[in-house]
Formats: sequence, structure tokens, C-alpha cells
Amino acid sequence: MVCKEEIFANKIFLNSVLPLLKVLAEERGELKKSFKNKTAVIQISAKDLEGKVATHFDIKDGVWTVGKGTVENSNLDLELEFSSIVQLNDFFTGKTKKLPKIKGLRNIGLLAGALKALMAMSKLLGASSPPKKEEEKELLVKMYFYLLSSGISQLNKAGHPDISNWTKKSPDRVFAWAVTGKPELSAYLRVKAGNSKAGRGEYKRSKPFFTMRFDTVDSALGILLQIDDMIDATINERIIMEGAPEYGAQIGEYMVLVGSYAKGEYKKG
Amino acid sequence: MASGLTYTMLDATKLSTSEIYGAVLCELGEKHPDIVGFSADLAKSTKIGLFQKKFPDRFFNVGIAEQNMFGIAAGMAKAGLTPFVSTFAVFATMRALDQVHTDICYQNLNVKIIATHGGLSFGQAGSTHHCTEDLSIMRSMANCQVIVPADGIETANAVEAAYYTPGPIYIRINRGFDRRFYDRAEYGFKIGKAVKLTEGTDITIIACGSCVYQAVEAANILANADGIKARVLDMHTIKPIDKEAILEAVHDTRRIITVEDHNVIGGLGSAVAEVIAGSGKGCAFERLGIPDTFSIIGLHEDLMAYYKIDTNGILECARELLGRDFEADDDWEDEV
Repeated sequence: MVCKEEIFANKIFLNSVLPLLKVLAEERGELKKSFKNKTAVIQISAKDLEGKVATHFDIKDGVWTVGKGTVENSNLDLELEFSSIVQLNDFFTGKTKKLPKIKGLRNIGLLAGALKALMAMSKLLGASSPPKKEEEKELLVKMYFYLLSSGISQLNKAGHPDISNWTKKSPDRVFAWAVTGKPELSAYLRVKAGNSKAGRGEYKRSKPFFTMRFDTVDSALGILLQIDDMIDATINERIIMEGAPEYGAQIGEYMVLVGSYAKGEYKKG
Repeated sequence: MASGLTYTMLDATKLSTSEIYGAVLCELGEKHPDIVGFSADLAKSTKIGLFQKKFPDRFFNVGIAEQNMFGIAAGMAKAGLTPFVSTFAVFATMRALDQVHTDICYQNLNVKIIATHGGLSFGQAGSTHHCTEDLSIMRSMANCQVIVPADGIETANAVEAAYYTPGPIYIRINRGFDRRFYDRAEYGFKIGKAVKLTEGTDITIIACGSCVYQAVEAANILANADGIKARVLDMHTIKPIDKEAILEAVHDTRRIITVEDHNVIGGLGSAVAEVIAGSGKGCAFERLGIPDTFSIIGLHEDLMAYYKIDTNGILECARELLGRDFEADDDWEDEV
């Protein structure tokens, strides 16, 4: 029996972290080149008592679509299959180097591309200091915004007690993350009466209830990589809470919670 | 003849709204000799009697003859004077409507109509003294601007601003004492510009007159008890309405409640609805006011509770509106 904490972490890896491969493959030049004109279906899965949990990528002529759950074996070109949810979680948090079972070794080029993309994502998200290139910095901020908004939503959907209690009581509200002058990096989370939805880009239907806004990409990375002090950043307006500050503190707590699952800093069952 | 009953003042140390009006008019009268006052035997009740005492030669009590009063005021405005005409709202906007329409508004004359005992503020006097149609009527008078102050301080600002604004202006105030809301006159009153009283992005409550105080009370309860952030706009000017503030509220909160001591048809709620419909933007919207009926008889506070334009009524409506869908809710899949 897999404990709840492992399930929460697994939801984040499968539905919040792995979908970022698409972002990376679409925006990084060398990865774009690796998958140019390629058509394939790749799946990353873990066995569990009821079968399998998975995320798959349907690549058509180099264009990626992310799918939740498994696809038919016959449609798969490549699968990285972990023996359990715990093994998948441990692998992505760096607690084990044991490789998953690789199905589809005949597609060696595809495997090399997929591993390259996974390594690149792991390196970028695991960075403890900001990248040097400006476009890499922006990519990292965007991926963090996507990861955090989706991570909170996934924890809600999985029934995390703190987050699901919060969303149950919430009226229809939108929480957003943004960098001034860089709308393309934005992400948001809409919550209403127990439901949640993570979205990408700016929420345009109305002003979000709360926006965590950074004045620059560097200021955003300072907070996201935990190398800047939150209070100091707030006082000096590197971070601007648009909305009631108590909601900033609340969303900040949930960001830390998502981070703790993504880094494996949770209680093992 | 009206009884000239005085006030339901809760705090005798404060001036009632109409007393403030009377006092401000006296101050303006000192500075501006063109100001003249009119009453149709209601100088005491409307408090223009303060002006009468101070400037007896510039004050005219025409007796119970409202139509004549507005006709004479129009003539004096034509001669270059600035008439301030006071009577009960029900008489100004219905009994003398022909004269207000043709003699004053049609000719775009500089007459200031300060109508007291508006809405249900003289609720105990019965249907003949209720006035829940005046905003609808006066809003449709071309050239006429319509103001509904929230309390005495705002009334003072409105009366002063009216003097310096050419053309016909209708100011609707209540009978007696209003819950004092503003504690100083310098908060940026400007005809046609709403005052944002509380900040919020969950819902906007747009109110005028006595409902402003109730709206702010409701917003405080929503914040403390429900964690709901409600924006409150004091929409003191019904015409010209502050379109910018309304559209900003639609964009920022997408849920709008209007509250007024008036029939829901034709007043503040209708004016706001016209702006929203004209913009093509969608939002959840509710008008609170007197439904399309003649009011029952009773004290103002009781009637406000009965018609749900008090704090509890606003709270009930806000909570209902917050649960209402305003966009498709069937897709809760995270974007990937």
C-alpha cells in the first residue's frame, strides 16, 4: 500500500513536472532539433496495485501534446516504466539511480532524445543558482510558474487535506504569478468550491483576486530558487503582492508545499 | 399642509442631512448674492428655512403650489439668478413635473432642485409621501444631472458643487438624520465620479444615498466573517454615471450588486445595467431596491430591512451571487 504522501508526490511528478518536458522541447533550440519532424508516442509510467499510472507525450512532426494516464501498448514507441510509484518518486528526487525498464530500445534515437530532454529538465529545475543566459532565466521562471500553479491544483485534486480544505471554502478566485513586462511567463490558478484549474499565460477574463508579481526575472528567480529573502524582497518591491497580503502568505505556503514534494522533502510512509 | 415634523435623529449632537444642506446654502448665500431660495410651504421640513431666516429678501414661500414654484424659479434663473428650490421629492418630481420638464430642463436653466424626504425615508407618512420613482423620472430629463448623496457631508459637497455647475441639477436627500459616513469634506467629491470606499476583487457593491452606509457595513462583515473582499462604490451621481468605475468593477470583480432606496426600475441599478450591457462585457449582476410595487408603510430602517436594501439584505445577495456561475465551469482540467 502506497502512503498518501507518495501519492501526492507522484501526482506532482506525473502531472506537473513531466508536462514541462513539452515546454522545454518547444523552447530549447537543441531539443527542438532532436525532435524535428519526429512522430512518436513516449510514455513514462509506474506500476501500482491497480495497473499503471502514467504521463504520455504524443509527438507529431515535432509538435508535442501531453496526455495524462496511459496509452495502449501498441501505440507506444518508447516507454520508461518504473516498478512502483515509490521508485518513480525516488528517481525524480535523486534518491535512487536505478533506471526504469526501457521498452522500445529499437528506437535508440528517440530514447536518446527523451533522455536528453529529461536530463535537461532535471538540470534546469534542480539549479541552485540562476542560469547565465537571459532566455534560460526566463524559461526557468516560466517552468516554475507552471509547476507551482499546476502542483497546487494537482494536490487539490488528489485530496491533500490543507489544499482541498482551502479550495472547498473558496469562492471563485484566480491567483496569478507574473513578472512585470513579461506576460508570456505568467501562470494562474483558478479555484472555486473545491475545484481548481491551473492555466498558462495571463488570466484575461478579469483581474485576478491575487497576483504575486516580480519586478524582474532575476527577482523572480531570487525567490523561486530560495536565494533571496522574502521579507526583504517585499520591502524593496522586488516582489509585489497585488491583493491582500494574507492571501500572499497563504499561496506562499502552498508553493513551499509543492516544492517539498518535488524535492522529496516529505514523510515517507 | 405638511406637518413639518422634525427628525428621527439618533445623535442630537450632529446635524441632520437637511440641516447641513440649509447651513451650506446659507454659507453659499453669503458669498453669492445671485442665490435665491424657494419653498412650497415646507421651509421648516426641508431646512431651506435656515436660508429664509438669514436672507428673508431672497427667499420665496409660494404656498402649497409647487407648479408655480418651479415656474417662478425658471423665470428667476432666466433673469440671471440661481434658484435653490426645496420641497419633498415626491412633489418636485411628480406634482410639478410638467414645469420641471418644460420650464427648467427643456430650457436648460440654472435651477437647483434639492428634494428632501426621498425614497422611503418618510416611510411612516404613507404612500403619498414615499418617493421611489424620482431617480427614474429625473434621469430621463435631458440636461438634468442627478445626485444622491450618502450622508450630510456628501450633501454639503453636492450642494456646493451644484452651485458651481451650470444647468439644472436634482439632488435627492433623505428626511432627517442619515447614518454619518464621511468624517471630513475633503475626500475628492466630484460630480460624475464615484468614490471607492473599500477595495476588493471578489464582488462590487454599487450604492447611493442611505444604502452606501449599509453597503460598507456589509463589506466589513463579508471580509471578517466570510473572507470575501468586496469593493464598495459610492455612486453619488446617477447622471452622468461614472462609466469608468463601473467597467473597472466589471473587469476586476465580475460580480456587481446595485443597492438603492428606489424602485429597481429606472434608477441606479438600471443606469449601471445600461453601462454594462453597452460594453458587451458579461458579469453576474443583481439589483437591490424596491421591487416594482408601492411600498408598505413603516419606519425607514424597517422598510430597508423589509425590502432587503439594508446590511443583511446586501449580505444575503452577495453570498448568493458569489456562488453563481459566470463562466463555463465544466472544464477543470489543468492546462499542460
